[in-house]
Amino acid sequence: MNAGPAPGTQLVIAGLGGQGVVFATRLVAQAAISLGWPVIAAETHGMSQRGGSVLSHVKLGPYPSSMVRRGCAHLLLALDPGEAMRALPFLAPGGGCVVNTESSLDERLEPVLRETGIRVHTQAATSLALALGSASLVNTIIVGCAAGLGWLPIPVETIQAVLDELAPARREANLAALRAGVEAARLAAPVT
Amino acid sequence: MSERIFLGNEAIGLGLVECGVRVATAYPGTPSSEILSAVATFAKQLGRPVYTEWSTNEKVAFEVALAASWSGLRSAVAMKQVGLNVASDPLFSAAYTGVRGGFVVIPADDPGPHSSQTEQDSRLLGLCAKVPVLDPSTPDEARQMIGVAFDLSERFHTPVLVRPTTRLCHALQGLAVEERPGPPPAKDLGRFRKDPTHWAATPRYRYRLHVELEQKLAEIEGAFEISSLNQRLGPAARAPLGVIASGVAYAAVIEALADLGVDLPILKIGTPFPLPRRLVAEFLESVERAVVLEEPDACVERQLTDRTRIFGRLDGTVPVAGELGPEVVYAVVRHALEVLGRRVPEAPSSALQQAVAAIPLPPRSPRLCPGCSHRSAFFALKREFGPQALYPSDIGCYTLGLNLRAVDTVLDMGAGVTIADGLSKASRITGESRPIIATIGDSTFLHAGLSPLINAVHTGSRFVLIILDNHTTAMTGFQPTAASASAPTAKRVSIPDLARACGVDFVEVASPYDHESFRQLLRRAHDHTKAPEGGVAVIVADWPCVLDDPSPLQAHPIPVEITQECDGCRYCVEAFECPALVLSPDGSRVDVDLSLCVNCGQCIDACYKGFIVPRLPAEVSA
Repeated sequence: MNAGPAPGTQLVIAGLGGQGVVFATRLVAQAAISLGWPVIAAETHGMSQRGGSVLSHVKLGPYPSSMVRRGCAHLLLALDPGEAMRALPFLAPGGGCVVNTESSLDERLEPVLRETGIRVHTQAATSLALALGSASLVNTIIVGCAAGLGWLPIPVETIQAVLDELAPARREANLAALRAGVEAARLAAPVT
Repeated sequence: MSERIFLGNEAIGLGLVECGVRVATAYPGTPSSEILSAVATFAKQLGRPVYTEWSTNEKVAFEVALAASWSGLRSAVAMKQVGLNVASDPLFSAAYTGVRGGFVVIPADDPGPHSSQTEQDSRLLGLCAKVPVLDPSTPDEARQMIGVAFDLSERFHTPVLVRPTTRLCHALQGLAVEERPGPPPAKDLGRFRKDPTHWAATPRYRYRLHVELEQKLAEIEGAFEISSLNQRLGPAARAPLGVIASGVAYAAVIEALADLGVDLPILKIGTPFPLPRRLVAEFLESVERAVVLEEPDACVERQLTDRTRIFGRLDGTVPVAGELGPEVVYAVVRHALEVLGRRVPEAPSSALQQAVAAIPLPPRSPRLCPGCSHRSAFFALKREFGPQALYPSDIGCYTLGLNLRAVDTVLDMGAGVTIADGLSKASRITGESRPIIATIGDSTFLHAGLSPLINAVHTGSRFVLIILDNHTTAMTGFQPTAASASAPTAKRVSIPDLARACGVDFVEVASPYDHESFRQLLRRAHDHTKAPEGGVAVIVADWPCVLDDPSPLQAHPIPVEITQECDGCRYCVEAFECPALVLSPDGSRVDVDLSLCVNCGQCIDACYKGFIVPRLPAEVSA
């Protein structure tokens, strides 16, 4: 597929060990590669995977460094609301944040989010994932949401094709989760 | 173009296979663990004959690979940085003896540190051992450098270090496999050739080998002066500030300069030891001041004899500890420019960072997994011996026993046994009688626990040693141990038999899942340490890692529920610390998080009031 040049998007994906941050990272990175874009990304391994904070970085474009500097990310995908808060400082003014939460981000942040033009889309992805059969689908739902909003500059079909490759054994569940995420984003009220 | 994403460690593994490695060995350790499995995967994929093994420790791994090199085969050994300490004895000696088949040593450093005891710099160990070091900045470059390292090793008959860091090991990058199949497999140089003046050199020959080694290093430095691994980039004209960067810091500084909108001369160093001093001197002549960026320590900077014009770690410009993340690199370059009177753009607004910082966030520390048998073992220890007992421990998942306050010391691999030994001797002198209850994992015991155990038994120390045998090296990704069933052909060694062979009279095996009999065994073991004829008592706490092998757990699930009487006293949450036991938002009671619970039933004893109970079958189906 010819999707034009890499968009130069920097994103961070935050969550807790066991939530599938690494899978979401590889999903986005491999999808970008299949579009012919240069990609560099950074994963967290080791001790931090035992239930601790996990943060990964993905950069779509000819970046030499795998790490995103605080204040430079265009997009934050957060699989956990607490980890969303921790990772917010990575966002650049005007950036977007898709966060899995049953409520909303801390209201004390509202003034600064308005001031910096950061858009937040909240998605109750855990209940949606459980309805689809497994809490482990939160990662794919959030990626779908970001793609559905148009904030993740990768076509949904591309992500879908990569899901087939990366998770053949859980293909149906992941495809359903991706579609659910995309749908939820499209149904949501336009965010400002 | 057929590209797929590669982890940095996979890129290294691919490079090794492409360059015709014949023997590859490793001991697992973050951030290096995926290198060896990648070698095995790509050897299969590319149809190359490669022998791989998870060795019992890094010294063993190093020496097995070195003997293959002496037999004329290209060989490699991978480990984490502290593993190179364990293998430092053969490293220093092999620099003298030299090698035949290309021999690449890959110690992965961990600036931060993310998963290590130290932030040590393996490049400096290379410098001390007089072994050349290559320092890649991206996965792609690491893959390329493997070929350079093999050639260098064979040309100068020396081991060569290729030193990645965590951010390279765990970076993901798109690489093409098919289009660049790499060089053909190196031709094996033949069999082991007897040469006692090298392979068995006595001090007289060692002196001669040392002289040869220094000559080699001078020649290697000459080769590095013209190597494409070292490059001058950016404007050629004389500049007030230049940057010397090595490893991942190079990638970070390129981006920082772009973000700052400044164009500075850069000297990229791919060969930090021996440093191409003429090249560096020429660069320094073309700039008034220079920033040196490298991690985790100052290897290039320390080799500069005149540091008066250098901004680096040694003058305090670069923080002495921690990772050179993009924020640090940006701040260092910005600071240097400001010192020189350059106007630089303001740092991006930190309003968001300040707003978030004002809201307290609970730290999310790693915890033992739900169902982990280490938790059951630690909980039993605490109940039996209380908070006053001394709990030396070791390196592995079970280090997280810290959270349960059942781990008092963590030093290095094997020290769980030796610190217990030393505490026993110190207690005898100070006249105190607190129980000493040591813990060590199965892989760690096989790695470095045997000699300490022999020492403790032989010298009459008295303590309980619990070998937490979960049948795998869990923390680093479930690599097999010599005592676990790995390949069907692999001979398994018995941990209880090893303990008996070390001279331990009390050796018992029990499952920590069986609380009552495990606690009885703890009492008997402790009695043995106090008996007149007693000594060290060893208990093998035997239960497979629930992530690696959940089958015994799944065969007998014990779902639990928490009764209405629960008063939210927090005892189970704090003393048992299972992620699936969560305090309700209002703190009035504890609930079971069913998305995390693995139905191990181990928490039933964690409520001394009896409010955690088995869920009845009728309710399970409801």
